[in-house]
Amino acid sequence: MKQLITILCFVFVIQSLTAQLNVNLSLSGRPPATLTEWGNRKDVLTLIIGPAQSQAADVKIKTSVKTLDGTIIGSTNLNTARIFTPQPGASTILNASDVLPLENIVFTGKYQSALIRTGKLPADNYMLCVQLVRATDYAPVSAEVCKTFYLAAYQLPILTQPANEQELNSKLAQSAITFRWTPVVPSSPTPVTYRLRVFEILEAQHDVQALRSNQPLLDKNILGTTQFIWQPQMSMMPYTIADSAQKNKVSGKKFIWTIQTLDNLGQPLNQTDGNGESLSEPKVFYVTDKKTKE
Amino acid sequence: MFNKTITVLIFLIPAFVLQAQKKPGFSVSGTMGVSYEGYGLDRNPSGWTGYSPRKPWNQVRFNFMPNFQFGKNFSLPFNINLAALPTNFAGPYSGYIPGGPKQSFKQWIANPVNNIAVNPKYKWAELQLGTQYLRYSELSTGDIGVFGAGFDLKPRQYRIKFFMGTSQPGINYFAGPPTITGAFKRSNWMFQIGKEKEGKYDVAFNFAKGKDFITSAAPPPLTIKPQEGFVTSLVTNIFFNKGWYLKLEGAQSIFTKDLTTSSTLLIKSFEPFIKAHTSTIRDYAGSGAIGKKGKNFDIGISSKYFGAGFQTVGYPYLQPDRLDYTVNTKWNTWKNKMNIVASLGQRVNNISNTTLRAKQLIGNLNWFTQFNDKWSLNVNYNNFGFQSASGINPYGIKNVSNDLGISPTYTWSNSKMSNLLSFSYNYSKYNERDVLTGLTTSNNTHTALLTYVPSYFTKDITPDFSAMYFYNDVPLAKTKLATISSGLSMPVAKKKVQLRGQLQYNLVQLNAYKGDNNFIASCSVDWKITKQFSWNTYLSTNYFKYGNSIVPNGANYLESICRTGFQYKFDSKKLK
Repeated sequence: MKQLITILCFVFVIQSLTAQLNVNLSLSGRPPATLTEWGNRKDVLTLIIGPAQSQAADVKIKTSVKTLDGTIIGSTNLNTARIFTPQPGASTILNASDVLPLENIVFTGKYQSALIRTGKLPADNYMLCVQLVRATDYAPVSAEVCKTFYLAAYQLPILTQPANEQELNSKLAQSAITFRWTPVVPSSPTPVTYRLRVFEILEAQHDVQALRSNQPLLDKNILGTTQFIWQPQMSMMPYTIADSAQKNKVSGKKFIWTIQTLDNLGQPLNQTDGNGESLSEPKVFYVTDKKTKE
Repeated sequence: MFNKTITVLIFLIPAFVLQAQKKPGFSVSGTMGVSYEGYGLDRNPSGWTGYSPRKPWNQVRFNFMPNFQFGKNFSLPFNINLAALPTNFAGPYSGYIPGGPKQSFKQWIANPVNNIAVNPKYKWAELQLGTQYLRYSELSTGDIGVFGAGFDLKPRQYRIKFFMGTSQPGINYFAGPPTITGAFKRSNWMFQIGKEKEGKYDVAFNFAKGKDFITSAAPPPLTIKPQEGFVTSLVTNIFFNKGWYLKLEGAQSIFTKDLTTSSTLLIKSFEPFIKAHTSTIRDYAGSGAIGKKGKNFDIGISSKYFGAGFQTVGYPYLQPDRLDYTVNTKWNTWKNKMNIVASLGQRVNNISNTTLRAKQLIGNLNWFTQFNDKWSLNVNYNNFGFQSASGINPYGIKNVSNDLGISPTYTWSNSKMSNLLSFSYNYSKYNERDVLTGLTTSNNTHTALLTYVPSYFTKDITPDFSAMYFYNDVPLAKTKLATISSGLSMPVAKKKVQLRGQLQYNLVQLNAYKGDNNFIASCSVDWKITKQFSWNTYLSTNYFKYGNSIVPNGANYLESICRTGFQYKFDSKKLK
């Protein structure tokens, strides 16, 4: 009888150790293109590890990034991966920084070089697969679960009209100025808002200094479209020597304008590139009056 | 750094001025002044907020920009521009506006609305103190102001520059209202070493670095991450005989997008300058131009490449991941009576393939011809096209813009006056394709402007008259805008006072709604009290009354601006 109990206990322990843990992976279909940004946003990736059946067991997360044809382009270095211990009776909830720790994921070939250069993978459809393995011998303790996702970085609008350093006739500009820009690429699944702002560059101010310090003369939210006709309703007088801080001497006024691209929640669409404010590269234009050239 | 620089400035200014008065050969040029700008906005009916104020209600600005010259070799230029109230709406200070939280002294002094700088210079050595906007090169640093100290040395043909300081202090996030975006304290340094032979060549290595301090803002900004960036570049410009030139620059940047991410060995660090994190990226950029400049003919080819991961703290708004190439030409012919300026270029976005590839074609042509003493004609044409792949949408983006402008001018004169009559017509067509339906919407704009300017030979008054008609047609919206305006300029009080005035009336109509009426009146009075001292005043009022295109019908507003200021022009002769 003792032998039978011992054998049963042994079988139970072995079964407990090799028992499959349930994992549930939730991944946004269109996560941020910059992989380090995944960890900053709780809504991108969640991995729920079901409660361990009997006693706590140490596991590691084996994560693979694959192309849709199944080619592995990046996977966890299990030797240095972090150990997790699912507790009996309680689920373990993890996010992107645990599941896809970039300091521990080794990418291959062109994907690695793209990541080093840009922090992003080439625009494409990918698959993220997660499996729990035993911390000691890396034997699987859960089924592999996979989710597909599409990765493409947003390219912010490029300002096209007025062109950089274009001179506008003051008579026309006092009534209407047409602004145009390229749309955000690729198109966002939710409508984007283009926040158009125009700042006057005062005498002795540098271009970007004016953008960072002046109150905008125009601050307009434009939903979806890439053109706005501004009726300035202001006299371009007094005509001063614009750009006095720099070499170009032009009689008139100088302005700097930019577009901030906002998502459907009113937040900057692309917070990881450049200035973090989703501000497009600003351009300047002049409103000149040839008669008053000094 | 702040305190040290301020201390140096405080002691330097009076010391040098006192010194100046004792020495012979002293001269001073430049200006100083103070100005006040008041803004008013009265909106009706009461409580309607359909039009927002666009200037601070009150603002006082001071400027002090003299250049003290001590003998031949020593100069002391000041560049001090201060505003009484912060008005930051974009960038790291965004949210510091009147009515919001107060700035600390460090925040005030580094706020881009203020500028305090002095650059004492002895022969080829210049000391740079205070806020400096230093442009080392196109790819290294140039767009940001840094408050600190440095030097610019030009011994013989050598060029050695160094500057270090703070481009922004720590600014805590504040939910508001008004919301303050917040910023991490960023320290910067930049260094250039090179050689230059004026008019022949220059070559220089540039190094620039900026680093944020993670704990410098509490609570930290919500959307902005602490960053660190280092860039190196080699720039060279060579000028050959007969106007030929060659300009080249190559740069590499190493940039950490988020200093809170883990450090890693998978990405190569560039120590001691920068240590790699998982968010560190490393990429290249290059620019080049070759061409010829002549009296009557210019031609040039220029190209710029920015890798997707190229990022520099010196140009925070730079958009990377693109390749631009452009051919420019300028041509004067027909005894300088014909002038042609043209450019054709393409911009390819997403060289890295981390987003959808987009191509942009840009073409411009401006053709001016002076047929005779009376007639001239200007024709301009601009084409712009933007196209990208479809991605996950059924159709790709395709936007095409075509603009054509024709402007004939006729001048005639008699013994008493000359007359200028100018007409300008512009047609603009802008097509946008919807990425879901594939349908293209067309946006057409017609603009016509007629201007008449008489100039009297025996009178000092200079009037001008103009009429404009603007028509824009997009699906569901047709906008008509008619404008008449007139201006008058004349000197009075023995030409000590220059008066300028302008009246403008606009009638705006959207679809079949009742038109909106807009009346703008403005004038400026520039009084030269003495040769050095002037008083300049500008007054403007803008009354706008909506028809029934918005609710409430008949809403209107009156906007007024009053700006007045005194300006003193330093004249060394008076001080001698």
